[in-house]
Amino acid sequence: MRYFEALDEAMYQCLKENPRALVIGQGVSDHKAIFGTVASAQKHFADRLIETPIAEESTAGICIGLALAGFYPVNTHIRSDFALLAFNQLINLAAKYKYMFGGLFQVPMLQRWVVGRSWGQGAQHSQSLQSLVGHIPGLVVIMPSSSENVLASYAAGYTQLESPLISLEHRLMYEMSFKEREGSLTNPLFGSQLVCSGNDCTVVATSIMVIEAQRAASYLVPFGISVEVIDLHSITHFDESLISRSAKKTRRLLVVDTSWARFGVCSEILAVAQKISQAENTSIKATALGMAPSPCPTAHSLEKFFYPDLADIIGSIMELVGVESDEIPVPEKEMATEVYKQFKGPF
Amino acid sequence: MNTLSAPRARDLLRECLRVRLVEYRIVELYPSDLIQSPVHLSVGQEAVAVGVCASLMDADKVFINYRGHAFYLARGGCLKAFFSELMGRQDGICRGKGGSMHLASPAQGLMGASAVVGSTISHAVGYALGLKLAGSESVSVSVCGDGAMEQGVFFESLNFASLKRVPVLFLIEDNGLAVHSSAGERQAFDLESLCAAFKCPFFEVEGIDPSVVKEISDVALQVCRSSGGPAVLRVKCCRYLEHVGVGEDFDAGYRSSSDIDGWKMRDPILDPLLIADFESEINSEIDKAVEFAINSPVSPKASLLEDII
Repeated sequence: MRYFEALDEAMYQCLKENPRALVIGQGVSDHKAIFGTVASAQKHFADRLIETPIAEESTAGICIGLALAGFYPVNTHIRSDFALLAFNQLINLAAKYKYMFGGLFQVPMLQRWVVGRSWGQGAQHSQSLQSLVGHIPGLVVIMPSSSENVLASYAAGYTQLESPLISLEHRLMYEMSFKEREGSLTNPLFGSQLVCSGNDCTVVATSIMVIEAQRAASYLVPFGISVEVIDLHSITHFDESLISRSAKKTRRLLVVDTSWARFGVCSEILAVAQKISQAENTSIKATALGMAPSPCPTAHSLEKFFYPDLADIIGSIMELVGVESDEIPVPEKEMATEVYKQFKGPF
Repeated sequence: MNTLSAPRARDLLRECLRVRLVEYRIVELYPSDLIQSPVHLSVGQEAVAVGVCASLMDADKVFINYRGHAFYLARGGCLKAFFSELMGRQDGICRGKGGSMHLASPAQGLMGASAVVGSTISHAVGYALGLKLAGSESVSVSVCGDGAMEQGVFFESLNFASLKRVPVLFLIEDNGLAVHSSAGERQAFDLESLCAAFKCPFFEVEGIDPSVVKEISDVALQVCRSSGGPAVLRVKCCRYLEHVGVGEDFDAGYRSSSDIDGWKMRDPILDPLLIADFESEINSEIDKAVEFAINSPVSPKASLLEDII
C-alpha cells in the first residue's frame, strides 16, 4: 500500500468509525482530493468534507469550536508552510485549551501538514516545521514514515487522544511503498520504531530521512558496517529508552532530520546522547544532519546542496565509525527526485 | 421600546449592580495582592453582558475574551469558584491555571476566553457549524471588543459564517477604545456597511439599560435562530476604568473624565434606590465568596503537569 493510499484509507476509516469526524480544509472537495488522500472520503462521505475559504487562522479556530462541540476535525494543509498562518490558534489556543481551563475542555483534532520537497518547491513550499510545534506543550506531533504508521497513528489519534495531533506528511513519500521493519510501532502517538538493527552506529531519523537511512544501512552492509535505524516517529513523545538502548550498544549516534538542525529535532536527540554519555559515564560519539542553514533555494543546482541525502548520511556514518573514504566509496550527491522517480511535480 | 415587566427589568439592573460590586470588590482587594494577575474590569459595561445573557437559552454557547467577569457572572457562573480562580486556588474554575483572563463555565455554556484579542471569534463560528451539523436550534455567541474587529480573523469569521450560513451572533462590545487608542485612530471601515457587504443582518444599541440591550438582543438572536445564519450586534458602551488594572487613568491624557460624564449621568446602576435595595445582600454574597476563596488551598505542585495533553 502506497503512502497516499494509506492516508486515503485512514481518512475513510476515520469518517466511517467516528460519525462526528469531519475533514476540513482548502481543496478537500476538489478533483485533486488533497493528492488523492480524501478520494474515498469524497465518494462515501461528501457531506462531511468542509471546503474552506483561504483563511487558515479562522479555519483552525473553527476546528477548535467544532472540537468543543464534540466533533473530530481533520484539518488539511497541502503545504505545512500555510499552517504558519494558523499558529495563533494552534499555539495560543488549541495547545492550551485543556491546561488553561484546568481540564474543563479538550480539543482533539488532527492537523495534516504536507511537507514539500524538490522539483523547485522553493522557500515557502518546503518547510518542515516539526520543531516549531514540538516546542509547545499541549501538542502531540508525529511524522509517520510508512503506510502502516499512518494507519496506526491516525486511528490512535481519533480513538485515544484528547489533544490536538499534528502530523507532518512528506510529499515525496506519497507514491512510495515500504519494506517491512524489524520492530513494531507499539505506541503510535507516543513512541518510536526500530526499523533495522545493527551494531556499529545508530541512526535516528524522521519522516523520509528514515527511508534514506535505510538505504544508507543497506549500502554499508557489504562493507561490514552494520547500522541500526530508529524512526523517531513521535517528535514530542519519542521513545527515549529505545534510543538510549541502541546508543549504549553502538556508542555512535547520527540524527537525520527533515528540517534545520539548530534548535530542533537534531539538537534534541543530541541532548539525549549527551544525557546517556553522562549517565553511563561513557562517551557516545554523536552528530547530526539537517538542512543547510538557509531558506530552501528553488534552483535544482542549489537545492541538491541544501538537503542532506544518501551520500551525506553514508559519509557521516563512516566518520562516526572511523572509516576513511578510500576504504568505502561514498556515492555521488544525488537529488531525491532522481531517486524517487515517481515524483514528477509540479506540487 | 422597553417591554419587559418591571420586576424583570429590576432583576436585570440588580444583576448589573452585582457585577459592578464584584468588580469594585476586586478593586478593593487588589492592593492586598491576593489577586496576582492582570484584571480587565467591566465597570461601566455591565449592561452589555447582562442584557445579552438575559436573551440566551440555556443551551446557547458563549465565547468571550479577557474582559470576561461580567459575562461569567451574567451567565450564572459560580461566584466562589470565580474568586478562587482569581486568587489562584484549587477551588477555582480552572484550578488556578486560568485566572481572570481565562474564565469558563461549560455547565452554563461559557466555552472559554482568550487573552489574545479576537482569538475566540472563530471558535464561536466553529461551534455554530457544529450546531448546524447536529441539527440543533441553539446559537453560538462570539463576544469581542471593537478593537478585535481589526483582526483579519474577524473578517474571515464573518465571511465563513455568512457563506456557510451558521447560527452565530457576533456581539461587539464597543467601548470605543483598544487599550488607549480610539476607533478613529484604528478603523477605516463602517461596520454596518461591512455587514451589508457580507449580507449579514446588523443591529446596534447603547449599552446602558440592560432591558434595552435585551430587547435588541432578543431580535438579533431570533434572526440567527430563524435564519440559521449569522447576525452582528454592536453595543456601544463606556469603560469607566483603565484598560487593565483597577484604577482610573484620566491623567494619562488619552481621554478625560468629562468624556464619560454623559454616560455616568444616565447610568441606571448608580441609582441610589437600586443600591439601597440590593447593595447589602449582594455584598454579603460577595463576602462569603471571598472568604471561601481565601480559605481554599493553593493548587498542589503535582497539578503543574496535569491536563497538558
